[in-house]
Amino acid sequence: MRPRQAITVLALAGIFVALYLTLYKIGVIGELSCSVGECETVNTSRWAVFLGQPVAAWGLGAYATLFVISLVGMSERFEDSRGVAIVIAALSGWGVLFSGWLTYLELFVIHAVCVWCVTSAAIITLIFLAALLDLRSAGGEPAAE
Amino acid sequence: MAAGRGSVGAKQQPPMKKKKRPTQQRGFYILLAAVAVAGGIGLYSAVSRPKAPAVRDIDVTAAQAEGYLMGDSTAPVQVLEFADFECPACGQFAVLTEPDIRHRLIESGQVSYRFFDFPLPGHHNTMPASMAAACASDQGKFWPMHDALFFNQPEWSTQATSTPERKFLEYAREIGLNIDAYKKCMDDQPHQVRIIANRKEGERRGVQQTPSFVIGRKLVAGAIGYDEFRALVDSAKAALPPVAPAPAPVTKKP
Repeated sequence: MRPRQAITVLALAGIFVALYLTLYKIGVIGELSCSVGECETVNTSRWAVFLGQPVAAWGLGAYATLFVISLVGMSERFEDSRGVAIVIAALSGWGVLFSGWLTYLELFVIHAVCVWCVTSAAIITLIFLAALLDLRSAGGEPAAE
Repeated sequence: MAAGRGSVGAKQQPPMKKKKRPTQQRGFYILLAAVAVAGGIGLYSAVSRPKAPAVRDIDVTAAQAEGYLMGDSTAPVQVLEFADFECPACGQFAVLTEPDIRHRLIESGQVSYRFFDFPLPGHHNTMPASMAAACASDQGKFWPMHDALFFNQPEWSTQATSTPERKFLEYAREIGLNIDAYKKCMDDQPHQVRIIANRKEGERRGVQQTPSFVIGRKLVAGAIGYDEFRALVDSAKAALPPVAPAPAPVTKKP
């Protein structure tokens, strides 16, 4: 599987995770399914809101953007575009930093871990790694078939 | 260099774009569809799951001399509430549902109601709130402070302020507490052990989220509505052992 395809699949998975947490935060879902950790503690803490919006909603926006860019980036016109690769790497890199900060808060400030937040952090990290591979191959010689 | 593989003759063809292998493309679309279907099903089941609380049987009987009592302690049905003053669902329950419960079930003598603190670790202002309520209880005004805290939750929650004590002092004045005694109580914190003991009692009973209720022999999780609460009270009443009929009066034969 090519890096950009992997990014598209991972971004779609991220959309569902972030959507699930967002729907909980706005009250559509009554109870989080949380077999490991303390999801409610994390998602009702003061750090579950960023710039007036739920953190999960920011994540949803980021994953949706990554999904659209990577999908468009697979079209014939953009498949070798280094610009697309740079945008994906920059956005996912920012996501990794943000997720790292949230994970730090969970471990050392809130003292509770939300399994869905950890899943999201793993997804954005994998997207970033795929984006680095994509960046290395994009705009250069075509990869050997 | 990517030359046209199928070129014929001397005419040079433009370099061909790399082609994606059909199997690679098919695998990608299959994986994408699998993620979409799995995510869609998971999300649909989460959204369509009724918000009805989980009800399960527990082995303990309700009502011990702990928490903060409202109503007649000898009422037929004993209800315990485990709540966090800063939890939004607890606030929603206190504002929307509890007034009906007080009016229709507690004041009518059907239910005795006890509130137990269940402070959650993520809520930084909940312990001071529990202490303010405990200090108000010293002056016989736990429930007015309970109401002030829940009805004004957005203005003192962790998201609103890091110094909730100022707001609590305002509420103490509004409900007519002796302010000197209240301040001394808040400084000395004599009720910390009681608050933690209340939470421990919830943990012992299997409480995992707030608010949770023990109604008769059922543990109910979630901010339930009045109708559901009433139904659980009725079912607890129905499960009570029948009251022995009063002995028939002895009538003397003439």
